Amino acid sequence: MRISPRSASTRKAALAAAVSMTLLVGALTACSTSEPQPPAQDIQDGGEITIGAEAEPDCVDWISICAGSIWGNYILMAETIPPVFNTRLVDGEWTPVASSLVTEEPEAVIEAGKQVITYSINPDAVWSDGTPITSADFAYSALQIRDGVDIFDKTGYNLIESVDASDPQTAVVTLSTAYAAWRTLFSQFGLLPSHILEGQDRAAAMVDGYEFSGGPWKLDSWVRGTSMTLVPNENYWGEKPHLDKVTFLFLPDTTAAFQALKSGEVDALYPTPQADAISQIDAGLPGISSQVDANSGSVEAIWFNNQAFPFDSKAVRQAVAYSIDRQAIVSRLFGDLGIDEPLQSMNSPLVGAFAGDDFSRYSLDLDKVTELMEGDGWTRNGDDIWEKDGETASFTILIWAGNKRRELTAQVLQSQLKDAGIEMSIQATTPAEAYSTLVPNGDYQAGLWSIIDTFPTPSLSASFVSTNIPTEANDFSGINFVRADIPGLDDLLIKVDTELDTDARIAASLAADEIIADYVPAFPLQTVPNVLLWSDKLGGPIEINAVEGPFWNLEAWGLVG
Amino acid sequence: MITFVARRALYSLPVILVASFVLFWAVRSTFDPLAKLRQVNDPQAIQRAIEQMGLDRSIPEQYLIWLRSFVTGDWGVSSRTGTPVLPLIGEALWPTLQVAFWGLVVAVVIAGAISVFSAVRQYSIGDHILTGASYIGIAMPAFWFGLILIQTFAVWPREAFGLAEPPLFFIGLHSSGSSDPLDYLRHLVLPVSALMIALVATWSRYGRAAMLDALASDYVRTARAKGVPRRQIIWRHAARNALAPFVTVVALDAAVLLGGLVVTEQIFAIPGMGRLFLQSLVAADVYVLLPWMIVVAVAVVICNLLADLGYALLDPRVRLR
Repeated sequence: MRISPRSASTRKAALAAAVSMTLLVGALTACSTSEPQPPAQDIQDGGEITIGAEAEPDCVDWISICAGSIWGNYILMAETIPPVFNTRLVDGEWTPVASSLVTEEPEAVIEAGKQVITYSINPDAVWSDGTPITSADFAYSALQIRDGVDIFDKTGYNLIESVDASDPQTAVVTLSTAYAAWRTLFSQFGLLPSHILEGQDRAAAMVDGYEFSGGPWKLDSWVRGTSMTLVPNENYWGEKPHLDKVTFLFLPDTTAAFQALKSGEVDALYPTPQADAISQIDAGLPGISSQVDANSGSVEAIWFNNQAFPFDSKAVRQAVAYSIDRQAIVSRLFGDLGIDEPLQSMNSPLVGAFAGDDFSRYSLDLDKVTELMEGDGWTRNGDDIWEKDGETASFTILIWAGNKRRELTAQVLQSQLKDAGIEMSIQATTPAEAYSTLVPNGDYQAGLWSIIDTFPTPSLSASFVSTNIPTEANDFSGINFVRADIPGLDDLLIKVDTELDTDARIAASLAADEIIADYVPAFPLQTVPNVLLWSDKLGGPIEINAVEGPFWNLEAWGLVG
Repeated sequence: MITFVARRALYSLPVILVASFVLFWAVRSTFDPLAKLRQVNDPQAIQRAIEQMGLDRSIPEQYLIWLRSFVTGDWGVSSRTGTPVLPLIGEALWPTLQVAFWGLVVAVVIAGAISVFSAVRQYSIGDHILTGASYIGIAMPAFWFGLILIQTFAVWPREAFGLAEPPLFFIGLHSSGSSDPLDYLRHLVLPVSALMIALVATWSRYGRAAMLDALASDYVRTARAKGVPRRQIIWRHAARNALAPFVTVVALDAAVLLGGLVVTEQIFAIPGMGRLFLQSLVAADVYVLLPWMIVVAVAVVICNLLADLGYALLDPRVRLR
C-alpha cells in the first residue's frame, strides 16, 4: 500500500503528508547513510523512557481513516496490533517476512482462477486478556474492512469472496482474482479481536484508545494533546519488553523537541528532517546517538496536472524537468546529512527492485529546454518568459503551509525555472483543502507533495492508471491526481498489481517506469531521509525500519546497565 | 450594582448572537465540513453526512439547527478525532486558563510595580532602564524568547553542571503521572515567563502614563498641599485612579490570551486552546473551529463585562450612567 493523498490502493499520504511525515530516500542508489549499528549493549530490565512524537494520532481505529496517521502507526498500532507479515531487511531489500502470529509462511495458490490463501495460526498467539487468536479474528477483520463504512483502504480486501474460519487454528481466505500484493492483507491493518469487538460499534469502542493488544505492548493511558503511555503486555507470546513503561510525549515544535532531547526531558526523537532539525544535528548533540537512513518509502515529487495548461503539453513537462537542477536541491536540503542524490523513479527505494533509473536522463540542460519549447511552438517574450498564443509559460504550485522544507524547495525551484524562462508562483494551502477539493477536482496546475509506500510492494497503479482519474464516474474517489492517461501504461501497471510471478512483475514495473519517465506526468525530486536520535542512556538494538518506523523493536530497547 | 450587571449582560446577548452568526457564516463559507470524509473512498458516507448535518439547506437554516444544538450542549463531534467537541474544548481550556491566569497575575503585579516606580521616579536611571527593557520586551518575538528561556534555564544548566534532569521543565504542565506541586511549579515557570514578558512590557507603558497623569492631577496636588503622606498619595490617590484605564487593557488582553496562546502552547507542548485551534485549522475541522471561536467570543464579552465592573468598582460615577 502506498500512502498517498487520499484513498484507493495507495494512500495514507493525506494525513501523512498533512503532518509532513514524509520520510524519504535519496535515490535507490543505496545512498543510505545509516551508520553501522553498534553491537547490542548490556541493558537492564525495568525503567521508563520518554520519547518525543511529532504528531498525535487523531484516533486509533486502525482500519478507518485513523490509519492515515503515520505516527499512530509507529507508536501504537505497531506495538499492539498483530500482523501476519513484518517487513525486514533481507539481503539489502525490504521484504515481507512471516511474523510469529503464524506457524509458517502463508500459502497462496490459484484454484480455478481464484486465489486461495491459507494462514496457519500460532497456537501460542493470544490477546492480552489471554484469549487465543483464532481464525475468527481473521474473518472479523477481513469482513469489517471489506463491508465496513469509512474504511481507510479496501484494496485487496474488496477481492475477498470468503473466509473459512471453521478451524480456529487455520484461516482460509479466497480472493475472486489473483492479487499480487496479497501479503498486505492482515499485515498493514493487522488483526482485530473479534471476541471484543464483534457486534459493537468498532469506531466508538476504540475512540479513546483500547485495552486489548496482540503485540508486546499495550496502551496504559492516552492523555489527548499530551502523551500516550505503553506498558508491557504480560501475555505476549514473543520477546517481552525490557522497559516497564514508555511514554510518547507529543511535541509538534521541532526546535523545542531538540531542546527537550538535549535537556533530558525526552530520551529519543524521530524528527522530520526539516532544515532546522538538520542544522541541529549538524551542529552536534552531545550524549546523543543518531542514525540517518535514506532507505525510506517516500517519494517527494512535483505533480503536474496533465490536463491543465501548460502541463497538458508533454514538451512543457519535459522542459520543466530539464530546467531543474535536482542535485543542487537535494544537496541544499540534505547535504548536511550526507545525502545528495535525487530520486530517479516514481517507485520509492522501499520497492527498489521494481524501480528503474529512467529519470536520470533529466538534469539541468537549458539548451534542451529551448529545443523542446521551440519545438512545441513557444517563443521568448520581452520578459524572457516562454509564450505561446498569447499565454506565458506560467504556473502555480501548491505546497503545504508551514512545511519549511517544501517552502525552501519551492523557492529554489522558482529561481531555477525563472532562469529557464518559466514563471512559477507558490500557493500555500492545507493538505485537507488540497486533497478534499483542489486536487481531486483538478483545480490546480502543479503540486509539491509526497507519497509514501507502507509495504514493500509497488503500487504506482493508483497514481497513474487512467481509470483512477477522479471523475464523477468514480465519485471523485480515484487518486490519479495528475490526471494522466498515458498510452500503454495502464496494462503494465495492472500487470504489476496482478501478476504473481515476481520476475514478470519486475519486468512490467521497469517498463512502466520507462514510459512514466518519458511522459513525465510527475517529476521525482528526492526521498526524505529518516532520522532517529536517542540518548546514550538507551541501549538496543536501536535501528530504523523504513516501513514499521523507528519503534518496531521497542521491546528490545532498554536502559544501559 | 446588580442592575448594572444585569443590564450589561443583557446587552451582551445580541452581540454574541450576531457574532455567532457571522462566525458560522464565515466558517461554513471558508471550510468544507466534509473535507475529512472526502479522504475516504466512500461516497455514501458523504451523502449520509450531508443529510445528517443539513448541508443541503440554506446558511440561515443551518445556523438555526446548529444554534439549537449548541445551546443544548450538543456541540457535535470532531471530524478529526471522532470525539465530542464539548469535552475536547473543555480539556483544552483548562491548561490555557492555568497558564493565562498565572501569566496575568504575575504580569499585573510586575507591570504595576514598574508603572509606579517609573512614574514616581520619572527620568531617573531606573526609569530609563525599565523603559528600554520594555521596548525590548515588546519587540521580542514570543517564540524566540521562549527558546532562549529553555536554553538558559533547562538545557544549559543540565549540560554545564551534569544534572540528571533540568532545573526547570518545559514540556507540558506536569511530568507524566505526577501531581507534585513542585513539579507543577517547575513546569509552569518557563511558559508563564514567556507569556508575561510582552504583557509586562506593554502594560508597564500604559501604567506609567496613567500614573504620570494621576500624579499631575489637581487632587494629588491638593493632597500634597494638605500634607498627606507621600506613600498614601501614591498608592491611595494616584494608583487607584490610574488603575481604571489599566483594568480595561488587562481585561481585553486576558480575553485575547484565551485564544491567542498558540505560540506559547506550541513551544511548551501545552495541550491548550491555541494548539487545539492550530490542529483543527490544519485538519479543516469545522466542528471544532466554530465552537472554539464562539467560546473565545464569549470570553471577550465576559472580559469586557468584567472590565466594566472593575471600572465601576474603581470609579463610582460609572454606576450612575
